[in-house]
Amino acid sequence: MPYILQTNHLTKIIDGKELVKNVNIHVKKGEIYGFLGPNGAGKTTVMKMITNLWKPTEGAVELFGETLTPTSYEVLKRMGSIIEFPTFYDHLSGKENLQLHCEYMGYYNPGSVEKALEMLELTGAAGKTVKNYSLGMKQRLGIARAILCRPELLVLDEPTNGLDPAGMKQLRDLFKMLCTEYGITIIISSHILSEVESIADTIGIISHGSMVKEISMKEISEMNTAYIQLTTADTKKAAYVLADKLELNNFRVIDEHDIRIYDSRISTNDISKAMMHNDVEISAIGKKAESLEDYFLKLTNGEEKSC
Amino acid sequence: MLKLIRLEWKKNNIIKYVRNVFIMVFVLLSLILATAGELASKEVGTAYGKSMLKAGVEMFTNMSFIVFTSTMLASFIVGAYKNKTMNLMFSYPINRKKILLCQMLAVWIFNFTALVLTKILFYAVLATVRGFADMAASGIVLNSGMFYAEIFVNSAVMVSVSFIALLAGLKMKSSKAAIIAGVIIVILTQGNIGQYTLADNVPFLMILMFLSAVSVFLSLYRLETRDVL
Repeated sequence: MPYILQTNHLTKIIDGKELVKNVNIHVKKGEIYGFLGPNGAGKTTVMKMITNLWKPTEGAVELFGETLTPTSYEVLKRMGSIIEFPTFYDHLSGKENLQLHCEYMGYYNPGSVEKALEMLELTGAAGKTVKNYSLGMKQRLGIARAILCRPELLVLDEPTNGLDPAGMKQLRDLFKMLCTEYGITIIISSHILSEVESIADTIGIISHGSMVKEISMKEISEMNTAYIQLTTADTKKAAYVLADKLELNNFRVIDEHDIRIYDSRISTNDISKAMMHNDVEISAIGKKAESLEDYFLKLTNGEEKSC
Repeated sequence: MLKLIRLEWKKNNIIKYVRNVFIMVFVLLSLILATAGELASKEVGTAYGKSMLKAGVEMFTNMSFIVFTSTMLASFIVGAYKNKTMNLMFSYPINRKKILLCQMLAVWIFNFTALVLTKILFYAVLATVRGFADMAASGIVLNSGMFYAEIFVNSAVMVSVSFIALLAGLKMKSSKAAIIAGVIIVILTQGNIGQYTLADNVPFLMILMFLSAVSVFLSLYRLETRDVL
């Protein structure tokens, strides 16, 4: 499988402190890769190494099939990025900042600046100096700049910081559109699960500087199929009924009141009936599904829950 | 290179610096003219008085532009690291050393040009006010190539030695440190203790030029492999 971006055992140590270790990322061409992790997990460190701002202590970054070296400049033409927060020349207008970006990138395409501003709904503020922009407007201008030169790869570090829910939704739609219509590959980091869950094709989860899991959303939905949660005062007897009477073995006693039944062949009705016939009192029964949030919390030991 | 230098001026709002130079030149010219008038009124038409006139122009202009160069270096380069616009610059497909070199050149060219023009303007105004013959006696010969060559070399040296301030600013990650370093350079190169001054001490200026070259070298050293913090 050709990857547009992959990292091999990426490690960064600063002043003896290991910020990330052995991070392996595999981003396929044309997909949206959600890079998830709690605050301080090492997302920005990895992104800085991908964009060549920081150099790996060990390991390597491979971009467009080439290993990134300290002098890999040409590869930067094919990338757009926002790392941490977008910075601008505040005394210049939004439009002037974008024009300046085109000059440095060596990208000349009439109307591209106006189009990027329009996509991010900044046309009205194009002539305003950036120092008069709100935080959300700056964030959107940063994204406009990142997509301005039609990059093949977008590296976005927490791009929705400072945006209201409507702004977040607008960006999610934009990222989807950029991916499907323009074939742009996007790696987007976030600690807000819902932000990534709805758009990502693949998820990479980082915790304490280590890559915990890299998995496609399809696999997650297959793996975390719906389950039936049964709440009862007598889990021992309920487990006996499930195993002996209903001949189920794909269930787990979660705690002294709850049992999760993962077998998809059985219905809640059948379980209720079997429990009633065997005098097992049920206080609640219902179908549930493990969300990405549950999965994330499980992998990061519930370290952070941001949404 | 030229394009990058032009972009540096554009994004750093060079018009603001041009305006500030004009204000500075106006203030300095007023001071110089006042000094010239003072010398005339006291009829200090001696060789000492005349050489004082030239020394005054050199001192005032050199002092001002050393500090001005340090301030611009603090803003163009040290400030860019601090406000993270350097991260943005290093995300462009341009050699990092070339970027930083162009930033330095943008400051150097601006200050060198401004300093040369300021000195020529001051001498021309003084010549008009006091008379060309009087000026010639002070060693200020406006139609001599050597006189202009001296202005060019002196201006180049003064602007160049200001680059020592760059390393101070970068090492201490502080724009203020760069400006303070500029003031220290002013004191060292233009100050005097009684009759003693290092202003015309060629070996001392050569040492400063060497330190300036070291400062530029260290600012560019291993720039590609350094993390942009």
